[in-house]
Amino acid sequence: MSGVAVRLQGVSAVHANGFAALKGIDLSVRRGERVAVIGPSGAGKTTLLRVLGLSLAPASGHCEVLGQQPWQVGARALRRLRSGIGHLHQAPPIPPRQRVVHAVLAGRLGQWSPWRGLASLLLPVDTAGAARELARLELEDRLFERCDRLSGGQLQRVALARVLYQRPELLLADEPVSAMDPALAELTVSLLADEARARDIALVASLHAVDLALRHFDRVVGVRDGGLAFDLPVAEVGSVELDALYAATSGRQREAARQIATARATPSAWTAQPLACR
Amino acid sequence: MSIPARVPVCVPCLMVLGAVLAAVVASFAYLELPLGELLAPGAWGGMAAFLAGFFPPDHEAAFLGKVGWAALETLAISVIGTLLAVAGGAVLALAAAGRAGLIARIATRFVLNGLRSVPELVWATLMVLAAGLGPFAGVLALALHTAGVLGRLFAEALENAPPAPESSLREAGAGPVAAFLYGTLPLVSAQWIAYGLYRWEMNIRMAAILGFVGAGGLGSMLYYELSLFHEAQACTVIIAMLLLSALVDGISAWIRADRPPRRL
Repeated sequence: MSGVAVRLQGVSAVHANGFAALKGIDLSVRRGERVAVIGPSGAGKTTLLRVLGLSLAPASGHCEVLGQQPWQVGARALRRLRSGIGHLHQAPPIPPRQRVVHAVLAGRLGQWSPWRGLASLLLPVDTAGAARELARLELEDRLFERCDRLSGGQLQRVALARVLYQRPELLLADEPVSAMDPALAELTVSLLADEARARDIALVASLHAVDLALRHFDRVVGVRDGGLAFDLPVAEVGSVELDALYAATSGRQREAARQIATARATPSAWTAQPLACR
Repeated sequence: MSIPARVPVCVPCLMVLGAVLAAVVASFAYLELPLGELLAPGAWGGMAAFLAGFFPPDHEAAFLGKVGWAALETLAISVIGTLLAVAGGAVLALAAAGRAGLIARIATRFVLNGLRSVPELVWATLMVLAAGLGPFAGVLALALHTAGVLGRLFAEALENAPPAPESSLREAGAGPVAAFLYGTLPLVSAQWIAYGLYRWEMNIRMAAILGFVGAGGLGSMLYYELSLFHEAQACTVIIAMLLLSALVDGISAWIRADRPPRRL
């Protein structure tokens, strides 16, 4: 496979209500590259990730994901392509009454035959594999717990374990840490970044916490009004870019961006903090 | 705002009250209900004598054995009828919730309406004609009516389930069946099981009645004994029916109770 995981050229996307959420985006992400997408609310970050996650077909432009043009291949090839894309959502999409082990193993349903998926509901086929991913998140003792008996933070970690168990070639995360406390946010983002580095896969994550973006990613892409405001290596992102990105948005967001730009100079207090939610 | 001098009279309320009273009086007159006879001096004694005829219930071993087999037959009719209805209802519910397209959705809703608007006893009469006397007709009657009821309830549960769990699995490449089993079924299964058990409790009572039209079980026995004025035997059958309903209610409550998770 080539070194390019994702290539968008002049991609525009229109929502069902006619709103043009993306206007002529050019973006290319190499394998092993970690790209953070930042920008004010409503700028088009989620739409961009939905296009990359193949849940939204672009209205125009060229789109290539994992070496294939997803909207030109057949249904079977599209499914195979999707099984290589792991998507971490802001709200864990896990049924409350499901057992943790099934919620994690569901990550590989795209790679399993339907019979294997059915058999696993009766008797989990890869308990050890699920336990291994949960152990990375210090949740292995909850393997057979029902998901509605977990705390919110534990459920977020189960969703993360599912995406890790999927072993995707492309990792997407749409504001994965917006609803998390700082310690869990740090753990989640650093695990995603470690996974991308260890397996040499691409990671694209939209974030509101700019400091996390600057600490764990190689590149930062600023999205504004459906277009790219900037696309720079982390070292070149400064307060000028961040100010311009959040300009004419609320003063609070601008202030947050400025604080974060200065915080870059000093190491964060969160990094050394142990996992607080256990 | 001034306080009204007197409470206003609700003229429509008085008219409705008058109409209801008139309807009640007219109904008694039309049906010629002899309520007065209930209070007549000899009535209570007659009733006591009639009830006394039922006691003691027949507890001869051979007869008890027959009742036991009939009770087992009624239980089997209710279990198989309900299980068939759950399976049929689940399949119909998937289509009725719009998973097979708009045309299938409208057609299935029409079928479900038809199935449940015909009562079990009418289905049983039809099935006795179609499949002959015996428990098979009872099973079919229960399955057809209950499938109509459960299909509608199951479909509503499906439509109210949030779509995110299933759609996120589809986006990760899962096939339609697997995505449904892991994404949506856990959201609705508790409700489906509760509806199924509730209908089973209703069906055990219904299965006991269906025998009256020839669909087997305790009902057929009760009909036979009552026709011959065998009150003591009829009493035994009625007691068996009560015990059977209580047993099913107990089992159903035990299954529905939220027990602690089982470790694998």
